[in-house]
Amino acid sequence: MSKIKERVLRAQDEGCKRSHRDEQRVSVVTNTTRESGRPRVADVKGAVGSVLLSPSDSEAVRKKLESQTGVWGKSSGKIEYIFYKILLCVFYMLYACARYTQYYYNRAKILILNLAYSPSNTPQLIRQDVLKLQKLPKRLAAIVEKKREGDVGGGVSGVLNDGSDLVAWTISAGIKHLTLYDFDGHLKRNVDDFRNSVHHKLTKYYDPSNVPKFAIRIPQWNKVYFNAPGQEAGDVASKKVAIEISLLSNRDGRETIIELTRTMADLCAQNEMQLSDITMKLIDSELTQLVGHEPDLLLYFGPNLDLQGFPPWHIRLTEFYWEQDNDQVSYSVFIRGLKNYAACKINVGK
Amino acid sequence: MAENNESRSSVEVIEKGLKQTKERIKPRAPPFPNICNPVSVLEYAHAQKLRLWSFVMSLACVSWALLQIQTILTNILKVGPLPEHVSFIMDGNRRYAKSLDMPIKSGHEAGAITLLNLLAVCRALGVKTVSAYAFSIENFNRPQEEVDTLTSLLAEKLDEVARRAQDCNSELFGLRLSVVGERSRISKDLNERISSVERMTSEGDSMTLYICFPYTSRNDIYHAIYDCAEGAKYHGFPAAQIDEAFLGNHMMLRGHSNKCDLLVRTSGHTRLSDYMLWQVHQNGHVEFSSTLWPDFGFLEFFRVLLRWSFFTSIQRRRESKRLLRFHTVSRLRQTLFSQKPKHVSIEDLPAPPQAVSVAGRN
Repeated sequence: MSKIKERVLRAQDEGCKRSHRDEQRVSVVTNTTRESGRPRVADVKGAVGSVLLSPSDSEAVRKKLESQTGVWGKSSGKIEYIFYKILLCVFYMLYACARYTQYYYNRAKILILNLAYSPSNTPQLIRQDVLKLQKLPKRLAAIVEKKREGDVGGGVSGVLNDGSDLVAWTISAGIKHLTLYDFDGHLKRNVDDFRNSVHHKLTKYYDPSNVPKFAIRIPQWNKVYFNAPGQEAGDVASKKVAIEISLLSNRDGRETIIELTRTMADLCAQNEMQLSDITMKLIDSELTQLVGHEPDLLLYFGPNLDLQGFPPWHIRLTEFYWEQDNDQVSYSVFIRGLKNYAACKINVGK
Repeated sequence: MAENNESRSSVEVIEKGLKQTKERIKPRAPPFPNICNPVSVLEYAHAQKLRLWSFVMSLACVSWALLQIQTILTNILKVGPLPEHVSFIMDGNRRYAKSLDMPIKSGHEAGAITLLNLLAVCRALGVKTVSAYAFSIENFNRPQEEVDTLTSLLAEKLDEVARRAQDCNSELFGLRLSVVGERSRISKDLNERISSVERMTSEGDSMTLYICFPYTSRNDIYHAIYDCAEGAKYHGFPAAQIDEAFLGNHMMLRGHSNKCDLLVRTSGHTRLSDYMLWQVHQNGHVEFSSTLWPDFGFLEFFRVLLRWSFFTSIQRRRESKRLLRFHTVSRLRQTLFSQKPKHVSIEDLPAPPQAVSVAGRN
């Protein structure tokens, strides 16, 4: 069914041309503020304010407030309502205090772990860490995000750097497939810069005269790039790569599935395809071609798990790993994710 | 009258069954340990502690006090922001049974009781939609015996939920129940039973409960795609107009398909296991807890909800652009001095002072 794939890809290309700016991402509630793990006084004040001032979500409460009649009945209901609101605020403050302590505890833990696991550009150390593990994921995925322009490691260059760090660690760990996901597709759009950045990073880790070869696949545009610009492999022998990297963005998620639905609906309406042809297997194979395989382990480097619209079809049994209150792409999270994967029991349905 | 009697006797049967289940999952007196072996002594002490604990919990005054506290805490949460759709992955029933040396069936029964308790909490809070992952399509790979147990348990519990949903004194009154999933995989008999329960509760409007029984998210997405294609073929729906909302409405959870605010997964695994993929991957909050499902009690659920509510109010505060102080004053004025604005006519106003022009007498 290469026809389906072609049409979906074409439609996606047109969609990309139509809107240059991706829609604004809404992050998960626990990640809205920049350092959301550590509630600041302003945040607590804001939360308390919004709770005190906005009406309740619960319909029952609102109805009760409105329905009460008579002077005494009305005010007693209101007093009760205000009393509970104030208690909720007290709980918020208590929670914020608890969270604050927990945040510093977690940060201290992460700092110590970062000291303990530091690869310092040596692949041997990484390989040694990995050798202790029972099993490795076949396909690894990671979500990277763009930080604010002014921050350390912020902006697009920060994303490129994080991505190439991950590539270097993954190669050294001996994993053959890596999927990098970033919501806005910065990696995709700056693919030449990214190739240079990866090459540069790999020369730091390995012998500059014999840098591991890599291929970068962009499923959205159906393109494959080999190595850094200017070093593309022509012959078959040098197409043997140490790692295959797929770059995904928000467009590969829901939009691809919707585009696939449109295409199939259209083909069915024009009788080029039977309804009975649409099977789970077909959809799975189409989405595998359009987006890629399902990763075994998904690493997230933010403070709370936020999937950010990662392709939904592809996270069926994927193991997630993130370190609470962590906010940078660091090797300790990477290796601890692999350790966690090695320890987990995989039982589909059983 | 006879009908009434009949229904009452069926109620009694169900109540009795529930009591028996509770009796069965109560910790029993452990055998006296071998004193020479410190490990067995420790185990004995632990078992006795559990027994004592469950005894204290079963005292009438204690359970009354706990219920009061629970009501107050629920009332507190109720006045803040609330999730619209809460979902549970009920994992850990078998491990729970194993840890207490009980047959697997009682583990699942204990899990069902936990779900009923949490449903009552959600209903009291005013959460509109709750869904629970009861059985995955992959679970058909389990031993036939266990599959049968789970199926019969579902049938039993469905009756109970339906009864409670219609009893106006019950905490689950007005619940609408819907079993979603690959219904063709379950027996015809059970299917009819489910349909009748769904019909019985279809009038309910206080809360919707979706039980996902043989369900997987991929299957759900597949069916939605299929239905869309079918609509385009036979009903002439233009294929170009298919969008997120349209596809979402063809999923099994209908209108609730595009957002699940809070997903709770117990027993420590950090994966979704083919559940709510579409609903959660965009900006749903997933809470992983290492407690086994039957142990997942009110307090832990309260903590999860408090956390959600805290961060949601921060987010809402950020979204609302109005100044806090301005907002406060206007709010206060509205709540404290909520007088209706009086209608005045211009004739009622006192006469203005005499008008004098600077230019001159004219």
